Order: sequence, then structure tokens, then C-alpha cells
Amino acid sequence: MRPTDDINRLIKQLQLKASASLDRRVHNDIDIALAESEKTESAHSKPNIWRIVMKNPVVKIAVAAAVVLVCLAGLHLWTGTKSGVALADVLAKVEQVQAFMYKMKMVMTGAMPGIPSMNREMDCTITTSNTYGTRWDITMTDPNGHGDKITEQFYVLPNRKVQIQIMPEQKKYMQMEFDGNCSTKQSSDDMLAKMKKQNNDPREMIKQIMNCKYTGLGRSEIDGIKVEGFRMTDPAFGGGVMEDANIVLWVDAEKWLPVRMEMDFKMGKQIQISSVIYDCQWDVSVDANEFEPIIPEGFTSIKAPSSTEDGAIEGLKSFADILGHYPKKLNIMDLAQEFMAFIQEFAATDVNTGEALQLSEKIKAAFKLKDEEELKELDKLPEEEKIKKIMEMLPEEEKVKINKIMEKKKIMEKIGDMTRQIQSLGRFYMTLVQEKKEPAYYGEFVTPADTDKVLLRWKTSDSEYRVIFGDLRAETVTPEELAELEAALPK
Amino acid sequence: MLEDKLLVWQFNRGSKDALRHIYEKYKNDLVTLAAALLTDVASAEDVVHDVFVCFIKSSERFRLTGSLKGYLATCVANSARNKNKARQKHLSYGLDEADVVSANSNSPNATAIFGEELRQLSSALSQLPYEQREVLLLHSYSGLKFRTIAGSLGISINTVQGRYRYAVDKLRSMLNGEVRK
Repeated sequence: MRPTDDINRLIKQLQLKASASLDRRVHNDIDIALAESEKTESAHSKPNIWRIVMKNPVVKIAVAAAVVLVCLAGLHLWTGTKSGVALADVLAKVEQVQAFMYKMKMVMTGAMPGIPSMNREMDCTITTSNTYGTRWDITMTDPNGHGDKITEQFYVLPNRKVQIQIMPEQKKYMQMEFDGNCSTKQSSDDMLAKMKKQNNDPREMIKQIMNCKYTGLGRSEIDGIKVEGFRMTDPAFGGGVMEDANIVLWVDAEKWLPVRMEMDFKMGKQIQISSVIYDCQWDVSVDANEFEPIIPEGFTSIKAPSSTEDGAIEGLKSFADILGHYPKKLNIMDLAQEFMAFIQEFAATDVNTGEALQLSEKIKAAFKLKDEEELKELDKLPEEEKIKKIMEMLPEEEKVKINKIMEKKKIMEKIGDMTRQIQSLGRFYMTLVQEKKEPAYYGEFVTPADTDKVLLRWKTSDSEYRVIFGDLRAETVTPEELAELEAALPK
Repeated sequence: MLEDKLLVWQFNRGSKDALRHIYEKYKNDLVTLAAALLTDVASAEDVVHDVFVCFIKSSERFRLTGSLKGYLATCVANSARNKNKARQKHLSYGLDEADVVSANSNSPNATAIFGEELRQLSSALSQLPYEQREVLLLHSYSGLKFRTIAGSLGISINTVQGRYRYAVDKLRSMLNGEVRK
């Protein structure tokens, strides 16, 4: 007698190959059906899935990352190179300062791409030392709602040529070293200088105002200090990335040092950002220890986004790998919107939110069964171990459900990881715009199959352009060669 | 599994590449299943073609709730069952008998499909009643659970398990008989 296993093994050995004729028929049908569907715009309305997405625990990571994507855009708007004249005395005074502290409050309102309208707040204390670098202590609204706050520490350390971001709630940290591999082939020192400029340093903001048209506001008083005001509404402020900018700088009329700076601007017509720099303390004494990042044991490292050509290529590749096409646009708001639409639709494919929430309650109930000490011990375990322990407490049927949810979570983590690459891409493009390198992007027409078509280009010098092609190889070309390449693009 | 979910997501967005990838990934398994069910390769390929035509049309509304392989195998089984019923109808009305390959016959097709090595199995499978063969192949070849098969056939899990047991017993008996010869 053959045991059942033998029969099953034999059956599994059955194997036929599909004929070339079947291959042709199916591939032909794929071509025809999809060509037809492209002609007819989908008529079915999209479900209002935002509530489902936001409530679902598995999308937290990706949503948080997408919010950070836009927040970072707000934080890195300051680049400037030239100096002006009218505020030169203030700038000269500020540049003599060895160390200073100030506070900043930023409020973002409006509907973020793919996210319902709500306020997001960020409070920061910033300490800058010419000797040690810059430290940011940030508290911001948890992008996952419920009004919770999350904290971050962010360091730019010139001596170590490194930038470190610590995220205590996520038990993660991100480290970016300035290794000279930057967008426009600058040296690591240039890159570092740019990083210093990009971190809302009031000195850079003054330079920015000096580069633009501004008007005097006359005298006023803030906290008992006599101040003189300057207003700037020039669209050129922030490299043209900000819209409807209204910047007001109040300077101590006797000491010629900034006291307060108010900024209101829009991004992509959808987001209103208001920030105020206040409580400025000039020439404070600082300690080297304040600039020594402490990364607690058990924190895991995450790869940092980089505003480099390589980072941009990586971002384009990831996007195309998963979505099958390049982003339609590269400005940060459109990019975030397209990416969020992807996350929402993917999250809605097979997530049973009700089930996820029920399980979440059961897990909480399981926790309550434990006494306080055991609970603390459990909380110390790494994520994987903790889940394993929780699983042990649940009945078999629930374990299967949790496994399904965990699998979904893994996919979302992968998408969350992709967010870093998208950040790199968006920041790289924003830098090109700000530096007026004449960037042009053709993601609406060029696909990964268009090996010789220009996907993205920017100017590197008067006689050269850098081009990323549809197959993501990068080459330097002359203006004449570029003109020829761009003439071949669909009109 | 992760790859399938991403493929389905791309497929929902109208990606040709995703659809081609899904077809290339599962075509041989599906043709094998259909051929073992219908004991006829040409009919099997027609079934797989029909399944993919329907699948392509479902692009925007398709939602994956289990495994993609299991879903496609169930579609193939459903389509093959319909084809088999049509054959039976033709037979019962005496139409085009010459063109019809009996699902229960030990036709040359049935034994030659899978080559000499699996000749005995192929022949024995073709002699099983269609319902038993269907359950056996969906469970043993495509890896579907009895519960899933019961759901797709609209019958009780006990009936599914019963058909599977009968199929295995008969197959074992036929194969042992063959060996003894």
C-alpha cells in the first residue's frame, strides 16, 4: 500500500508547461484589455478610506514618515549665498556671536497631501555654537492623531562631519555623514556649509531677507525691548519654494540683534505654515556635552535620506519598482501627494480595520492580565520578542489573525523605508530649484523603458548639464546635446 | 506572499507588467491543474486563457483576500467544472461525440499528458469521478485547504473530506493494481 503522503508527493510532481500559443493569446489579451481601459477613464468613485487608513495601526509608520517628509521640507528652505546692504549691520553683529539660543514654534494648517485638514504644531529649542555645531530639541504633534506629542533631537556636528537625528518614541536614530557625495559634486566642506545654512539659522534668514526686497516697519516694542521691524514679501524668498511669503524681522534697536522673526508662507497652495522665532539669547555659554548625542542602548539605526544624485536615483528606482512608473512631478508637495495616494490605496486593499482594532483591544486586555512588574519586563523586550510573548497569551485563532496583520505591517514597513528614498528625491529636486540650476523633469512622459529619454536634468555649469535618463543612468552633456535630447521628448 | 500583494496592487492600478508577471509566475501550475482535471491539454489551455481574460477585466475591482495562487487555482477549477459539465451535456445529447474527450475515459490524451514517468498516476487520475479528482487536485496539487474548497464548491467540509478520502483510496488501489501487473 502506498501511504497518502506518497500519493500527494506524486501529484505534486505533475508539471506541464504552458504552450507558446497560450502565452501569445494571454499576452495579446493583456495588451488589448489594458489599452481599452486606458481609453475609458475609470468611472467608479473611490471610497472615502482616510478614516480606515488613519485608524489602522499598520499604516502608522508610513503616515508618520510622509508627514516628516513635508515637515522636513519646511525646515530646509533656507539657502542663500549673496549678501545685501540694508541689514548688513545686523548681520555683522550676529556673525560675531559665538553661541546663541532661540525658540521656534511652527504651526502647519490645511490639508496635507492625502491627509485630512488638521493643525500640526512643532516647538523647538535651538542651540548653535560656532565651535560645536547645532542642536535642536523638537516636540511635535504626533502625525497619527489623538493630540499626542512626539519628541526628537537633531544635531549638526561640523567637527565630526555628521548629522544625527534621535527619535525616542520610535527607538530609532538616523545618522548622515558628509562624505562629499553630494548633488552638485561639492566637497564635504561645502556640503557641511550648506547643511548649516539649511537649518533655519537666523543668520541665514537675515541674509535671505537682505537678498530680497524689504520694507521698514518702523519702531515698536517687544517684551520691553525697543525694536525696529523689516517686512519682506518677495516671492524670491526661500528660493521660490515658498508661496505668499510674509516675513517680519524685529531687531533690537540698540544692540542690533534679532529679537523675533515671524514667517507665514504657503506650500503648494494647500499648506499654510506659520512660524515664529522668539526668546533669542545671543552669546550664551555652552558646554561641549550639550552637543554630544546620546543614543540609548537598543535604539536601531535607520538610513538617512540624502540630497544627492545617487539618493535621487534610488528614490526614482524605488518609486518605479513599486508603482510601475516614475512620479508625475518632483516638487515636494506633489510628490508627497502621489506617494500618500499610493499608501492609502495599498492599505485599503485587504485590511480589515475592525478586526485589527478588535485584536488591538484583545492585546491590551492580555496585558492587563499581567502584573505591573511583568508588564515592565515585557515592555523592555525588543519588538519581535514582545510580539512573540503577546502571541503566547492569545488563543490559536487570534494568532492566525495577528500573523496576517503582522505580515501587512511588514509590507507597510517596507513602504515606510521607501519614504526615506522619496525624501531624498524630493529634497534633491528642491535643492536644484533653490540653487536655480534649471531643473526640468519629465516623469509624466518618460517611463523606465525609455532608456534614452531625458527623465531629469539640471545645469552644472555654463557648458554642462547633468541628465538622468529613463533607465536611470546619469550622464553629463553639453547644452547642444541636451537640446537634441529634449527635442525628442513628446510635446 | 509579499510579492503577490504588491503585484496585485500594481495590477489594480492597471500595470501590464504586473499582469504579465502574475501570468508567468502561475501559468504552468494552472495549466497542469486544468489538464489534470480535464485530461486534455488543449481544453486546459482554453480554461487558463478564459481565467486570465476574466482576471484582466477585473483589474480595478479585484481585491485579494487570501493567496493569489489559491484564488487563480479556484478560478481554473470553476472554469474546468463548467467545461466538464458542457462536455457531459454534449455527450448526453449525443452531439459532436467524436470531438468530445470524456472526462472519465482512459484516453491516449489522459495517459500521455504528463509523460511516461507519471503515466500510471495520470491514467489513474483520469479514471476518478470528476468531483473526487477535483477535490484531490485542489488540495494535494494546489495546496487549498478543505475549508476553502468547501466554500468555493458550496458544499460541506465533511463532503470535501469524504471525496478526498475516496479519491486517495481509489488512486492507491489503482496504482497498486498497476504495480502488481
